[in-house]
Amino acid sequence: MRRRRKGIYSRVKDKTMPGLQTSEPGPSTESTSHALLGFLQSQSQNTLTRLYQRPSSCLSVFRLLGPLERQLVMNLLWMDSAIPASMMSAWITREGRKPYEGSLSILSKLHILPNPTAKLALNLTFKTSLRHAITGGGTSGSFGVPADRDSKHPSPSIEALDTYALERWETILHYMVSSGSGRYPNRPSQGVLLLLQRSGLMTSVQGSALQITSSGFQFLLHPPHAQLWELLLQYLHMAEERQMDLVEVLSFLFMLSTMELGRDYSVEHLSQTQTAMLEDLRDYGIIWQRRASSRRFSPTRLATTLTSSAPPLPTAGGAASNTQGQGFIVLETNYRIYAYTDNPLQIAVLNLFITMKSRFPNLVVGAITRESVKKALANGITADQIISYLTTHAHPQMRKNKPLLPVTVQDQVRLWELEKNRVKSQEGYLYTAFASQADYEYVLNYAKQLDVVLWESAAKRCFFGSIEGHANIRGFIERRTAGNV
Amino acid sequence: MDKASHLSIILDLSPTQWHLFAQPSPTNAHPLSLSSFLSQLFAFLNAHIACKDENTLTVYGAFPGKSILLYSSVNITASSSETEAPADANTYRPFKILDSTIATSISQQLDELSEMNEEAPVSLVSALTKSLCYINRNSNSSSESLSKTKTKLEELGVEAEAMLDPRVLIISVSPDQSAAYISMMNSIFSAQKLKVTIDVCKLYGPDSVFLQQAAHLTGGSYIYLERPDALLQYLTMSFLPPPSLRTLISVPTQDKIDFRAACFCHKQIVDIGFVCSVCLSIFCKPVPVCSTCRTKFPMKTLQRLNAMKPPTLPSNNLSNTANTPSPAASPAPSHRRTPSMTGTGTAGANSLPRSSTIGRGATTGTNGSAPPRNGDGV
Amino acid sequence: MKAIKGVLLTCDSAVKQILLALNEKGSFIIEDLDDYHVVIKADEEWRVRRELEAELEKNTYSLE
Repeated sequence: MRRRRKGIYSRVKDKTMPGLQTSEPGPSTESTSHALLGFLQSQSQNTLTRLYQRPSSCLSVFRLLGPLERQLVMNLLWMDSAIPASMMSAWITREGRKPYEGSLSILSKLHILPNPTAKLALNLTFKTSLRHAITGGGTSGSFGVPADRDSKHPSPSIEALDTYALERWETILHYMVSSGSGRYPNRPSQGVLLLLQRSGLMTSVQGSALQITSSGFQFLLHPPHAQLWELLLQYLHMAEERQMDLVEVLSFLFMLSTMELGRDYSVEHLSQTQTAMLEDLRDYGIIWQRRASSRRFSPTRLATTLTSSAPPLPTAGGAASNTQGQGFIVLETNYRIYAYTDNPLQIAVLNLFITMKSRFPNLVVGAITRESVKKALANGITADQIISYLTTHAHPQMRKNKPLLPVTVQDQVRLWELEKNRVKSQEGYLYTAFASQADYEYVLNYAKQLDVVLWESAAKRCFFGSIEGHANIRGFIERRTAGNV
Repeated sequence: MDKASHLSIILDLSPTQWHLFAQPSPTNAHPLSLSSFLSQLFAFLNAHIACKDENTLTVYGAFPGKSILLYSSVNITASSSETEAPADANTYRPFKILDSTIATSISQQLDELSEMNEEAPVSLVSALTKSLCYINRNSNSSSESLSKTKTKLEELGVEAEAMLDPRVLIISVSPDQSAAYISMMNSIFSAQKLKVTIDVCKLYGPDSVFLQQAAHLTGGSYIYLERPDALLQYLTMSFLPPPSLRTLISVPTQDKIDFRAACFCHKQIVDIGFVCSVCLSIFCKPVPVCSTCRTKFPMKTLQRLNAMKPPTLPSNNLSNTANTPSPAASPAPSHRRTPSMTGTGTAGANSLPRSSTIGRGATTGTNGSAPPRNGDGV
Repeated sequence: MKAIKGVLLTCDSAVKQILLALNEKGSFIIEDLDDYHVVIKADEEWRVRRELEAELEKNTYSLE
């Protein structure tokens, strides 16, 4: 079942041109909205049903689904009774069969479509809530209770919220990227540090200061949307351990995703768990509060774009270069890179895999060199990640090129990666000097059954087995010699 | 594949037709009032927005004599939404803004209309043209010009090319106006060029020849609603999937299309027309001079054509060409100025029904089953 | 019959030749298996890799 699901997504990805869409993660990274669906699928039916009681949660889960699943849900939404499965499948074209089956299985794992084999009907709770979400009404208050107007403290402007979110988020990333260099800029809060450590993005060797790990380096090159969900998923895992009610946590996140940017919401109607979450979310830059004790909060763009694929941060160029769009990197065929940015985080990230040549107030000039790429590869960054980062952040001027990045550079980066892997080493034992051919074959067969043979040669009458198999093979031979004697 | 899609809805809001539609009568077994129509429509529109946060929507109203932009999800400014819809914890705000904006502007327009005595024909084509212009502007304008107009699209950093998969849904209750034939065909050709799919949902009144052609020529689907009480279910199953998804989910298409054209001289729908060999204008009877390109035709051919007009019609003459009302008439070759006689079946269809089959079978899907219906949605 | 502990290196034939050359200076190869495989002493692996790296580095052209 799992394999099939993966198959669908790879199909879907094949159709989207890698790199042409800035908001989508590159082909090498698993899309994060699916990651959350995976998390939801692992939850019990009871948990999910409780979650589906809130219209906003249903709407958000619905948005995370793939296009075909969404259509199936919509087809069933206004049905009062179950319909035979054959009736629905009559609408599916021949090419649609496989995706259709996959979609049904996803929906059933999410307990949205409880029994997809016989009669099709939506989970009653889900159906009721999603209907409420679409037609409005109900008394759930799940879309957030807006705070009354406060004449003394007007709600912050959208620009202010964007600046705040960007500043928070970049503090986290900047902390990560500069941890290797020994310079520490602003430290994020203790909660964030714990989260980074728990997610394996940073690690502390024997109580020393936190160091970025190889998965941390990879994390830095992901698009912001993927990064955000990666951390939130970790947060959800931690919430389970901290005995927080997962339903409360999830529905708060979903509620945030349906809120309106630039509006104040009241904390009065939040549960205890959710009130406790406010502090964490403030640290991530997902919400803004005037003071920790404030009775109101405003979601930032990070929150309101959680279930969409719109960029969660206003501009990648930072507040100073607001006029620019997402892209800022120009890459030439001679490996030179011109990055129109003054953002320290972006420069630091670029510094992971390019050699800096010169810096100007709004421009950084560097080059992709063998050394710089080797350094990146040594940190665990892959060639594909470098290429996808460059693609995502390519300057609008570059977008006229087809292909977007110079092929020479792409190929060279990949070649450098291959070069690093010229020698592969495996530890193990060389078994040699067998008394007879029969002896050799007998032991070799046994080793093959264990699936530990890395290399063999009948002519030389020897083979190489991995270290895991050694104890077994040794025991086997000893038993045999003992038996012979 | 999972990309945002744009939907333009064109509502036919002819007061007379809606009034007739709402009255139960032997010929109207399933009356539908405008208000219950709107409530089902809102659910559909909300569903479109619900599918993806980036999905965009514009709604045009075709009123008698004018067409109005009722709602556009792209140009919602915070200040206007603030006054119209007070915040509510139970409703997703974009839905609320959408519904209230449309409802207010429709009632406002209808109030203004009531002062008029005579009802002008519904300007459906004008609404269609506007929506095509809108799509064109949003898909062609460079990101630079976009940045000047502070739109939501631009705020989100979505590039101009993001408006992929644009489509138009026409919800019609009025009969065809043959006077609008030329402009209608021209809009259809523009839509083809822009790769815009036109879907048609016919709620009431006779089948529309022009709208059938519009749907057929742009790859959309034309549905005559036999059970308007199941409107929402029809809308959801047939018109919610964006064109990209329609490779996986089949939506009903018509099996019979009325390809008849309207003549340029009297604006009447004709079974047999006479096409100018120079500029391809269509006339309902042989004319000595083409009114469009001023080509003179020999008297002899005219007489011959007049003689053989109805009822006999040689079938091999039917294979004639598209009746594009093309303004760019090429210079006439002087030796052959003959209005050729033709059935007005247009190019593009494999099987040309030259008779006046008005396809009622259009509601059935390709798989032969009509969409499952459902009592009342909202 | 014997079992010898070691590290199996899988490489291309060019690298293999360099390894053989390095082996002349300080022996570390246990068994030369074929064109692409060689078994070396486990505790020598990092030294060999370092020397190999240095050797390969001589053959790369750098812009600077």
